[in-house]
Amino acid sequence: MINIKKTLTALLLVTASVITSAEIAVIVGSSNGNGSLDKATISKIFLGKSKSFPDGAQAVPIDQNDGTAAREAFNSSVLGKSASQLKSYWSRLIFTGKGTPPKQSADDAAVKALVSNNPNTIGYIDAGSVDSSVKVVFKF
Amino acid sequence: MNKLILLSAVTTAVILSPTTQANDLNINGFLSVGVSMLDNNKVTLEGYDTTGNFKNDTILGLQISKQVNDKTTVTGQLVSRGTDEYSTESAWAYASYAVSDDLDVRLGRIRVPFFYYSDFLEVGYAYDWVRPPSEVYSVPFSSIDGTDLNYRFSLGDWDNSIQVYYGRYSRAGSGVDLKNFAGLALTTATGDLTLRASYHRLEIETDGTGSFGTANAGAAAVINSTLRTVLNPTSNAALDANIDQAVADFTLTGQELGFYGLAAGYDNGDFSAIAEYTQSFSASPFFPTVTTNLIKVGKRFNEFVGHLTYASTENELDSGLDGNIQKALGFEDKQNSIIAGLRYDYDTSTALKFEVQQHDEEIVGGAKGKSAMLYTVAIDLVF
Repeated sequence: MINIKKTLTALLLVTASVITSAEIAVIVGSSNGNGSLDKATISKIFLGKSKSFPDGAQAVPIDQNDGTAAREAFNSSVLGKSASQLKSYWSRLIFTGKGTPPKQSADDAAVKALVSNNPNTIGYIDAGSVDSSVKVVFKF
Repeated sequence: MNKLILLSAVTTAVILSPTTQANDLNINGFLSVGVSMLDNNKVTLEGYDTTGNFKNDTILGLQISKQVNDKTTVTGQLVSRGTDEYSTESAWAYASYAVSDDLDVRLGRIRVPFFYYSDFLEVGYAYDWVRPPSEVYSVPFSSIDGTDLNYRFSLGDWDNSIQVYYGRYSRAGSGVDLKNFAGLALTTATGDLTLRASYHRLEIETDGTGSFGTANAGAAAVINSTLRTVLNPTSNAALDANIDQAVADFTLTGQELGFYGLAAGYDNGDFSAIAEYTQSFSASPFFPTVTTNLIKVGKRFNEFVGHLTYASTENELDSGLDGNIQKALGFEDKQNSIIAGLRYDYDTSTALKFEVQQHDEEIVGGAKGKSAMLYTVAIDLVF
């Protein structure tokens, strides 16, 4: 039963994101102390170069799964790298113990759920999926 | 609808959390399989010949890391190389302790950061070549047992890192014991530009076995027997004493070796370039000063990267008697390669590579050498 609901929601969300504008919002939990963040700061957090928010709180980035529209938009607009370049970037760090890529989460809903529950997390979702449980720190 | 989304979100979160915890045990791997062929057998490119060679560029690596607590991570990397008949070695095996967000201490077996690509030398997927050019990337001892500190900091737009290490290389059968093996590597990056400088030093001891020890004992024997009569046919006592001194100088035990490297890399996602320069030196004439450099440019066309590299190495001999002995022992060496290659990113974890290398032995073993073409097709995966 839950699975059916889940599938249905996923389908609805996919449809919704196709219909609504492709604008992507970078989000943090509503209790996160940071106002807005710039592209460079977000990029540093997602590339593992910075482990905290500007206010000093620990930052835990959450990626969407490979191949999702939001992931591809985020890669090219914020990180400025293709999926292959990112894989190459992370393989240089993973095998030296110098870094691990962000944890991946399935889709907008999953990212939003994680981010709204943990003020240290930061993710990105379709701007149309934003609600009061999260705070938008950057849009593109 | 809102309720449904909320329910679904909660369900997803519940389903996700155990996975997230299990993710603390990270298993990553890489595999490279290469086939290569030389167009003639007149040059010596280690392991390659005119018949298809499947082993030389074939490497399997498996890395397991586990976050033990907030601060400590344990990592092991097992590597199985075709060149070693697929026997398995622990290339890395260390515990890492995060003193702060910016400072890590590692203890165990770590890779010596000689080169720009040292850290991921065997992870073919991480670079465009099938293998880094052997003119530059040819240090035989790549991992040491010891400790290192990694410190990261930012200065304005520059992201910097400092790595300092200390350890020892001693393996059964290697015939060498490299003590007080220490060094540092500085890396600084801004935007698309990365600059790197490193310095390394060690003290060498040999027991006369293994490839190094045997070569060293052999050199001393040749100086003592054959060369002594050639260099000093009249058995002049003063010259004889000088030759005795030379034999002592050529003996590795107790000698110090040094190495430094400079590199600059640029990558804007479309165009990339790297230049690297290294020099290794020693007080012992058994190790002549070796200067190497490479320059590579690459251009990306969607899933393809075309690249071109020039790499060279040259031994610089001493002057005087030591230099004459080095010459007689065939230490003169000057080689270069031009490498043209194409990388195709099949998907985000598989790359297919084609490479043509013209290897030119200008001087090898003190004599004029030959040149040859090496053709390679390889596939690199990370998982």
